Amino acid sequence: MLTVILQQGINGLVVGSLYVLVALGLTLIYGVLVQINFAHADIVTLGAFVAYFVTHLLSGNYFAGIAIALIVGGALGWLLNTAIFAPLRDRGNELLPLIATIGVSIMLQNAMLLMFGPIPYAFDTPYSNHVIRFGGIFFTVQNLLIIVVSTITIGLLYAFMKFTFVGKALRAVSQDRETAGLMGINPNYIIMLTFIIASALAGMSGALLGPVLVLTPFAGTSVIVKAFAIVIIGGFGNVEGTIIAGLIVGLIESYTTQFLDPGLIDIIVFALLLLTLAVRPTGLIAERRDENV
Amino acid sequence: MKMSSPATIESSVLATASTFLSSRRLWLVVAAIAIGLVPMIFSGSYWRTNLIICAVNVLLAIGLDFVLGYAGQLNLGQSAFAGIGAYASTLLITKLGVPFWIAFACGVLLAALAGMLLSIFAVRLRGHYLAIASLGFAVITYQVLLNWISLTQGPLGIYGIAPPPPLTIPGLPSISFSNTANFFYLTGGFALLTYILLDQLVRSPVGETLAAIREDEVSAASLGINCQKWKVFAFVVSSAVAGAGGCFYASFVGTLVPDAFFITESFSVLAMVIVGGMGTLIGPVVGAILLTVLPELLRGIGDLRLIVYGVSVTLVVLFMPGGIVQAVRLIAAVLRRRFTDRPASTNP
Repeated sequence: MLTVILQQGINGLVVGSLYVLVALGLTLIYGVLVQINFAHADIVTLGAFVAYFVTHLLSGNYFAGIAIALIVGGALGWLLNTAIFAPLRDRGNELLPLIATIGVSIMLQNAMLLMFGPIPYAFDTPYSNHVIRFGGIFFTVQNLLIIVVSTITIGLLYAFMKFTFVGKALRAVSQDRETAGLMGINPNYIIMLTFIIASALAGMSGALLGPVLVLTPFAGTSVIVKAFAIVIIGGFGNVEGTIIAGLIVGLIESYTTQFLDPGLIDIIVFALLLLTLAVRPTGLIAERRDENV
Repeated sequence: MKMSSPATIESSVLATASTFLSSRRLWLVVAAIAIGLVPMIFSGSYWRTNLIICAVNVLLAIGLDFVLGYAGQLNLGQSAFAGIGAYASTLLITKLGVPFWIAFACGVLLAALAGMLLSIFAVRLRGHYLAIASLGFAVITYQVLLNWISLTQGPLGIYGIAPPPPLTIPGLPSISFSNTANFFYLTGGFALLTYILLDQLVRSPVGETLAAIREDEVSAASLGINCQKWKVFAFVVSSAVAGAGGCFYASFVGTLVPDAFFITESFSVLAMVIVGGMGTLIGPVVGAILLTVLPELLRGIGDLRLIVYGVSVTLVVLFMPGGIVQAVRLIAAVLRRRFTDRPASTNP
C-alpha cells in the first residue's frame, strides 16, 4: 500500500511539474499583461509535435527535440505578441485579446490537424523504456528526465525573476506598468520578453508532455484547462503559488486514477478551483489584486 | 451656411425615412417574414439543418450577450447551460416519459438554476476570475455528462430522441415537427420571440440598471442598485435562454453526446457575440448566423475551412473591435453624412 502511494506520488509529481511549466507561462503573461492567452495550449501541442518529428529525424536525439520545441515555442510567442497582443494592448478592452487568441487557437489546431492528421501519435522517446527500480517503486528514465529538466527550468526562472535586472524589471511591470515605465523600464520590451519566455516554456513542456499525452492536434486543450485551474488555485500572477498548485493537481490526478476513477480528475480539480474561488479568491498565496475579487 | 433650408427639409425627410427604417416594428416584421421564407428558399435537408442550428446558436449567442454585453459578466459556461437543458429535457422524455413541452420547461428551469448557482461566483468575482470560474463550471458539467454513464450513457450518447409531438389546432391539419421546415419555424419563431423579449428588457430600466453595473459597479451600488441581485438575474436569464437552445438542439439532432457541449462550444458562442458585435442584440444574431454558415460555405476548400474560420475571427477582432454591426453602422453613418452634405455644398 505504501509503495502504491509512493509510486503514484512520484507519477503525480512528474505530471504536476509539467503542468507547472505550462501554468507558469500563463501566469507570467497574466502578470505583465492581465490577459488570458488561450493559444498557449496550442504552443504546448506544437512543441510536442516538433519534438516528435525532430527526435525521429535525428534518430532518437530527444534533447535536440526539446531544444527545438523550446525555440519554436518562443518564436511563436514573439509572433503572437507582435501580431495580436501589441496592436490590441492600448484599446483597453480586456475581452478582445482573449477572443483573438481563441481565433488563433482554432487556426493553429486546424493547421496541425491538416499537417499531422487526427490519429494519435505514439511518442516514445529513447528513455521511455528504461525502467529504474527502487525498492518496490518503478520509474522510467523519461520520468527522471522530466523531473530534472523541469526542476532546473523552474529554478532558473525563479533565479531570473529574483536576481537579474531584467527579471526585476519584469516583476516591476507586473506590479505597476506605468510606474515601471517612469523608472526607465520599457514595458513593451518586457512584455515581449515575457511572451517569448512563457511560450518557450510551453513549447518545452509540450516536448516533455508529448510521451505522456495522447498526442493529437487537440491535446493541448486538456492541459491548458488544468493549467488555468492551477493558475487560479495558486493565485493569478503568483509564481510560488503556481508551483504548489501545479504539483497538487498532478498528485490529485495520479491518486484519483489509482483510488477512484480517472473520469473524476477534472471534476475534483475544478471543484477545488471553485472552492478556492469561493473561500480564498486570491489563491493559495495571496497577492493583492483587488480589482478582480 | 451649410444648413440652408432645402438641406434642412431634405435632412428632415431623411430623418423620417431613417426613423421608419430603424423603427423596430418594421425590422421585426422583416425578420418574421425572413424566417417564414428562408426554409422555402433552402429546401434541401442539408441547408435546413444548418438553418435550425443557426436558430439554436442565435439563442445561445443572444443569451450570452445579455449577461456579457449588457451586464458585463464574462461567462464561458454557455455550453454547460445548453448541455444541462438538452440532457435534462431529453432524460425526462426518454426515462420518465414526460411530455415534450413539460420536459422543455423543466430543462429551461434547470439551466436557469445552474445559472443561479454559477452567479454565486459572479457576485464575488470579476473579469478573468469569473471567466475561469465559469470555464471550470463548464468543464465539470462536461465531465459529469461524460462520466455519469448510468444516467447519460456517457460517450456512447443517447440515440433516437423523438422530435416534439405534432401540434394540433382544431380545424387545421396537424403540424408535424419531423418536417424540418416546421421545426425551423418552431426554433426560429422561438428565437425571434426571445429576441423581442430581451430587446424589451434591455430597453427597459432593467437594461439601464445592468449597464450601470457593467460600467461601474461601485457607483451603481452607491445609487442604490442591488448589484448582486441583478447579476443573478442576468445569469438566470442568460442560462435559461441557453437551456432552451439546448432542448431544441437535442430534439432536432436526435442524438446527444457530451462532446456537443465541450468547452470549445462556449468559445464558439463567445466568438459569435464578439464578431457580430457585443452589447447590441442584433450583433450576436448576425455573428451566430455568419459563424454557423461560414464553415459550411467554405466546405469547398476542405480541411482549410476551419483555419480560414480561425483567421477570420482573429481579423475581425483586430480590425473591427466593435464587431460587424458597429462596422456597418460606421459605414452607414459616413454614407449618410455624405448624402446630407451634398445639397448644401451644391447650393452655396
